[in-house]
Formats: sequence, C-alpha cells, structure tokens
Amino acid sequence: MRFLLLSHIQNAQQSLRSNRMRSGLTMLGVTIGVASITTILALSAGASKVVGDQIDALGGNIAVIRPGATISDPLSNLTQANPQRDFAASTLTETDVTLINSVAHIDAVAPLMVLSGTVKADSIAPAQTPIVATSPQLALISGLTVQEGEFIGSTANQDTATIGAQLSINIFGTDQSIGKMLTIRGKQFTVIGILKRTNNPINYNSVDFDNAVVISLTSGKQLNQGLPQIQQINVRSDSVTNLNDAIIELNKLLIAAHQGEHDFIILTGDQISQPTSQLFYAIAGLTATVAGISLLVGGIGIMNIMLVSVAERTREIGIRKALGATNADITVQFLIEALAIGLGGGISGYGVGYLLAFGISTFLTFDPVINWEIVVVALSLSISMGTVFGLYPAIRASRKDPIESLRQYN
Amino acid sequence: MNNIQQISSIRQIFGLRYTPNALYNDSAMAKPTTIPVIELHDLKKRFGIGDAEHFALDGVDLVIQKGEFIAIMGPSGCGKTTLLNILGLLDGSTDGDYNLDGRSVATLSARRQARIRSQQIGFIFQSFNLISRLNIIENVALPLTYKGISRTKRLILASDMLRNFHLNEREYYMPYQLSGGQTQRVAIARALVNQPSIILADEPTGNLDSRSSHIIMEELSDLHKRGNTIIMVTHNPSLTAYASRVITMLDGRIDTDTHLPMQEQLLVAPKHPLGPLSTPKVIKQKDRSSRRMRKLKKSLLTHETSHK
Repeated sequence: MRFLLLSHIQNAQQSLRSNRMRSGLTMLGVTIGVASITTILALSAGASKVVGDQIDALGGNIAVIRPGATISDPLSNLTQANPQRDFAASTLTETDVTLINSVAHIDAVAPLMVLSGTVKADSIAPAQTPIVATSPQLALISGLTVQEGEFIGSTANQDTATIGAQLSINIFGTDQSIGKMLTIRGKQFTVIGILKRTNNPINYNSVDFDNAVVISLTSGKQLNQGLPQIQQINVRSDSVTNLNDAIIELNKLLIAAHQGEHDFIILTGDQISQPTSQLFYAIAGLTATVAGISLLVGGIGIMNIMLVSVAERTREIGIRKALGATNADITVQFLIEALAIGLGGGISGYGVGYLLAFGISTFLTFDPVINWEIVVVALSLSISMGTVFGLYPAIRASRKDPIESLRQYN
Repeated sequence: MNNIQQISSIRQIFGLRYTPNALYNDSAMAKPTTIPVIELHDLKKRFGIGDAEHFALDGVDLVIQKGEFIAIMGPSGCGKTTLLNILGLLDGSTDGDYNLDGRSVATLSARRQARIRSQQIGFIFQSFNLISRLNIIENVALPLTYKGISRTKRLILASDMLRNFHLNEREYYMPYQLSGGQTQRVAIARALVNQPSIILADEPTGNLDSRSSHIIMEELSDLHKRGNTIIMVTHNPSLTAYASRVITMLDGRIDTDTHLPMQEQLLVAPKHPLGPLSTPKVIKQKDRSSRRMRKLKKSLLTHETSHK
C-alpha cells in the first residue's frame, strides 16, 4: 500500500511534468489566491503586533481609562451601528484627572483631548492633523522624546506647542522649527520642541505623533470653547505590582464621582491593544475573505484542468484498469495530482505572499509577522482546495468504463 | 436434410463403422477431470434496450482448460471482443454463468475482479495500448504497480522481461520510437510481467505486417508451450495454425469449435448451414476438421484391430 501511494506520487509528478505549462498556470491561480491571503494576514498581524509591542515596551505599569460603558464584545462596533456614541459627551472630566492624581501609587496621569482643526504656518498642514491637548506627563507615560527643544510643560507659557517632526517639515519645510509660530484654529502658538520620530501611526493613543501638535490641556480647552472633552486618560503606576491595587482604588473613586455609574473602562496590559488588534483582525478577515474569491477561482482552475486531464487520459484509465487498477487506485491517482497542484500553489503562494508583504511594508511603518498560524492557514487552504476541487474529477475518472475508455481514440 | 441424415452422410464419406454413442463415450473418456480455468454457460450480453436491443453474445457455452491456446475467429460484430472483455473481467454479462477457476465471477466485488486482472490475467491489445508518456520499461512495469511492488523491484522485473523479448536496449525509449512489431512485443512483455496464468490477446497482430505477425505468434506459441492459457481473437486464418483449438463465432454464438467431438460440431453446424461469412476461415476450419477426422479414424481402426 505504501509503495502504491509512492507510485501514485511518482505518477502525479510525471503527469504534471509532462504538462508543465498547464500545471504551472493552474498552480499560478492557487499561488495568487494563497499569496493575497498570506499578504493580508501577515500585514494585519504585523499591525496588531505594533500596538502590543508598544504596551510591552512601556512596561506593565500602564492603564488606560476610556469613556463609555464596558463593551463586552469589541467587535460589536463593527457589526452594530451606534452613530450617537460619536456625538455623545465624554464621561471623563478634569475632576476625574484630579481624583486619579490623588490615588496612591499613581505617579503619572495624562488626559488626552484630541481636537481637529486647521494647523498652518508657512503652509497649511493636512486636514487630519491631530491636535493633542494633554499634560506634560504624557511624555513619561507614552515614552515620547524630543529631538530638539522641550515637551510642553505645565509651568511654561500656555501658548506653546511641541510638534511632530513630520508636521514640522510639512508646515515649515524643515524640522528645525524651534521658536517659529504656527496657527491652530486661528490661535497662535510658539513651537518649543520637535518630537523625535516614532514611526508608529498605529498606537493605543490613536494619534500619529509624527504629524501631531501637542498643546497643554488649558490651551486645548480654550480652542474648544472652554470645555474639556477628554477622550482618554493614561495612567502610570510607580511599579507593576502596585498597578492592580491602584486600579481598584481609582475604580472605586471614579464610580463614586460618577454617581455610582460605571460609565468608563479601565484597560491594562493586553486589553489596551486588544480592541485595536481585534479591529485589525476583523478587517484582515474581511479582506482575506474577499481575497479568498481569487483562491476559489484558483480552485475552479484545478477542477477545470483535472477534468481536461481526465478526458485526455481516458484511454490511460482504461489501460490501467485492464492492468489491475481498482477504482480507488484511479481516484487516488488523480486526487494526488490535484493535491500536488494545490499544495505546490500553496507553498509558492506562501512565499510570494511574504515577498509581497515585505515589499508593501517598505511603504508602511510596520513589518509583516511570520508565524505558524499563517503557514497553517496557507497550507490547509491549498490542501483543501486541491482535495475539494480535485475530488469530483478523480471520482469521474474512477467511474469510467474500462471498455469505453479503451475505445477512446488516442 | 436433418441432423441425423447429415451425420450419416459424413460417416459414409469417411467410411466410419462406429456408432455416435461410441464417439461420445470416447470423448467422455478423454475429458480431463481437473476444474476448467474458464467455464461459460449460456452467457449473454445485451446492448441497448427496446427496439435497439441487440445481443452481442447470445448463449455462449464454453469450457477452457488450463494450457489451451484458443483462437477465436468470426466476422466483425459476432461478439469475439465482447467475449474477450467478459473473460478478462473488463465487462459483465447480462445473463448466464461465468466461472473462473471454478468460482462464479458474479459473486466477486469490483476490487476482487481488479485484483484478478492484476494477478491472473494478461491483456494484449491490437493497438498495443502503451501509455505514451511513459517509457518502455515503465510501461512494462505498470501492472506491477497494482501489486504493491516497490519501484526498484518493478523496474528490475520489467527489465528482465524486456530482455526475454530482446528489447533490453530499448528500455528507455518512448513508445513512439519503436516499430510496430517491437511495440507489440513490449505489450506482450507488459502482459507477462505479472506472470499471469491466462493471456487474452485481442487481434495482437492486427496492426502488424506478416513478418512481425509471425514473430509475435512465435512468442505467443512459446508462452503456450510454457503452460500459459492463451485466448486470442484474430481475423487472420493463417494464425490459427499456432492455436491448439479454434473457435468460430457467428451472431453472438459459438459456430464451430475444434475441441468438440465431430458429432457435437455437426449438431451445432446446421444452425448456420452456410457457415461463417469469412471464406478463408471456412477453408481453414474444414482443413483442421478433416485432419482431426483422419486422426480419429486412424485411432478407431487401431482400436478395432486390437479387439479382433
């Protein structure tokens, strides 16, 4: 039986070799499908990893407080439309920031108020330039460093800003813009620092600091008609071991301050990156499904070419049956051929997919991830393609009448 | 003229003095006691239904003993190839019994039938039926694949077989690089590589010139001498000289069979008073019958003399 299987494999090899062009083109169909799925999965895993790595790099002593009730399923944002949430007032206030500051073991608190508006100097910044109003402690919590000048300070003049390196180039034409003036929503600010490049547009703050303007919370309120609109509060404890105690404490305090309403979420560790990761995986899953259509086309290609092969080799089937081949032998022979095409396409697709992913990543700020899950997905997809689409032609071949087959004109 | 009258006239021609019963008894004494390799009883094969119904085989009774070399002749469409296909388990009968080595094939599963084809039966086709993308040695080794033999051993056995047919220098040629005679020798080598006990040849010389035909027939004759059972379908009457038994078929039935005692043949003969449509075949058949009758007459005379 082992020798028979080996013989089928050798036979499939011979058959594919004798029709190199045809087999190659069929394999290409599968290669394209698997490559597109591999690329999407590798890049999305890379994007998710970026956020996770940031949390890890910052240590395990960070917590993030966000407004709104606890969402049991983060993917519900994708599946259930909830437009009013975008316009709802944030449940986090300046009082909360003060309360959190009073909690033992908390050594840094940074509220985050992200505004949008026109930022201009010598030239106008892109429309989506984030204006981040925060406290100086954000630099400590989020690991932001300046390449020149200083980060916004609580004691410094309120009308000062620290800007991202890329934004500096965009609006001043240089990253040496200390002391220059820029206008944010019609109000003038002086640049006191240039942030060092982070190359991390995807992060748990949801702010691309390379293109952002960082101002003090007081200035932010002035730009927002005097009202604070805190979207997130970043908290850092003095040590990892004390974080849990600190969270329990601040949870109590906040609930009490919010009249017993649990209208905020405290995220720690992996939970901080989870919504982002899950969102990426959901988007990746969706795009991979669309890419799966090309894999389906590849599978139909396998079936098509196997049917042609069966039709062409009808006489061979008759000969083999006359020489003692059973129906199962014929089925396995053709199935192995289809599997070989599928698997060959899968392996090359996996390789091509990574080449593409690395190629694309040169234009992105993160690298694709190589992990066993993607190998399993690529190979299992290609094997199942070969099996599913090769089964019908193989069964059809095995059911050929030997006499009719031998009569076929060669 | 009825059957009895025909028998009487034949007896008069040959001057026979024995009764029909004596002929039967003599034949019964000569009957071997071993189980026949192939035994067909009232075998029928129908194609089509309703108005298009046609019996390719219409009640074939046949017993083949081990080691016989049978030539089956008859006009096109008389059912020769259909019979061969049924004997080779490539096709099934519509009605009747087919016992192979004393066992009814109707009870065998498709897998078991395939195994029998693999181990017991060797096919030789008119159009050679080699797989064009495989080289000669791989073609010859093909039947061994289904016996679960390793590739190396398969190739060794195939090489040995090709050496027997003086084709060892052509092992790695492709089928299209050989002459017709060589290709058919490869096909015979392939049929024999499994060491089958029964060889079924469907017009093995049909596509060959007369010289190549005789070379192939000599090969088959050698195989017969080595004890193989050979059943060959042919249109060429000159090839029946190699066979130990000649069967002619007509309209899906056995018309004449040289194995049958003369009387049985005569009983069968009136069904087709004009004989087979192929003239040379009739002549050959008559020649063989007369030779057989002369031998029979001689032995009977010796028998009578010894009694006196």
